[in-house]
Amino acid sequence: MSAGKGAVLRAWRGVKKTPWGLGLGAACVAGILMWLVGNEGAIGWVQYVLARATSGILNVLGHRTVVADHTVWSRDFGITVIAACTGIFPIGLFLLAVTAYPTRWRSKLVGFGLGIGGITGLNIVRLVSLYYIGVHLPQFLDSAHQLVWQSLLIVLAVTLWLLWAGRWGHASCRS
Amino acid sequence: MLPAGASARGSAAKIVFRFLVVSLLVAAALIGVWSFIAPVYTKAVALPARVLLRWVESPNVSVLEVRDAELWVYRIVGPGKVAPFVWFDRYTFFILIPFLALLMATPGLGWARRVARLAIGVVALWCGHAVHLAVSLQLSYAATGLAVSGPFLGRALTLWQVGTRLLWEAAPIAIWIGLTRAPWRKALRTCREGARPCRVDSEPIPAGG
Repeated sequence: MSAGKGAVLRAWRGVKKTPWGLGLGAACVAGILMWLVGNEGAIGWVQYVLARATSGILNVLGHRTVVADHTVWSRDFGITVIAACTGIFPIGLFLLAVTAYPTRWRSKLVGFGLGIGGITGLNIVRLVSLYYIGVHLPQFLDSAHQLVWQSLLIVLAVTLWLLWAGRWGHASCRS
Repeated sequence: MLPAGASARGSAAKIVFRFLVVSLLVAAALIGVWSFIAPVYTKAVALPARVLLRWVESPNVSVLEVRDAELWVYRIVGPGKVAPFVWFDRYTFFILIPFLALLMATPGLGWARRVARLAIGVVALWCGHAVHLAVSLQLSYAATGLAVSGPFLGRALTLWQVGTRLLWEAAPIAIWIGLTRAPWRKALRTCREGARPCRVDSEPIPAGG
């Protein structure tokens, strides 16, 4: 390794543990998130994947649903996965919090996986449950969608982050 | 016997689980009374938002009207004439529910500290909502060509809108973290240090955590 490259790496190792380094990492995650939400092609792909996953689960549960664009249809009901329904904001906030937390990068990678996987999983459960509510209790759909599940998703995402911080967040003490 | 680390992790998990249960219970209770909270909070947000709009708009063209828990925005289109522009439904400020639930469920806070933090948090969130309302309206005017946007705003309008949305989503969590960082640090540190029996008490927490 050249002396110049070594000096840059040493400087980076010094910076990445400071609040500035952590802030820089969080700013990068925020930038990627803003790009993703602003990019119709990328966010459209996420919407499509979520619609397919929701439809797949509903079909396993005995419903005959099809996906058209970002909408899950059946004879009884239809739900459209819009950009705000992708969980992109809770996931982004989770990743920001993991990035800004002072711990080892290996622990952060675990946090990224946990956040993306966990919140996406929860979001699919949310979409499936909203389908059922739409079919059986349509009068509660609005409040279940906007009030109950939004609140639940935030509380569960925060709990997931706390579990991560309690389990992996102290790794820096040992390293 | 479990190793110390495993015991500490178990204690931390217990604290987090208790936090989850309490926050879900509080959220459920607040969802139940949301129809009473929403009109009052919407009216409260509209008050400073009107002042902000008068301050940022020249001339002031936005008129805010609260109908029950809905917030209607009209634009002045001529002398004595207004046209509806956008409306915000009764769930617009729902974030108050998880925010209050998280604060109520945070361990290691005595009642006095909890009430003080609740008051500070609600005021901070209320200010944030009023600012967001004013800013997002200006961005909507720019996006629909109703306001002149400079080259800087015009080129990156989507970015500004997404950034504002991100701040809107992040504000309650950021305020909650800011207000409860010290008790959480203390609770989780107590569990880690030597895997002592984990009990979260309400001792005074030194300023600055």
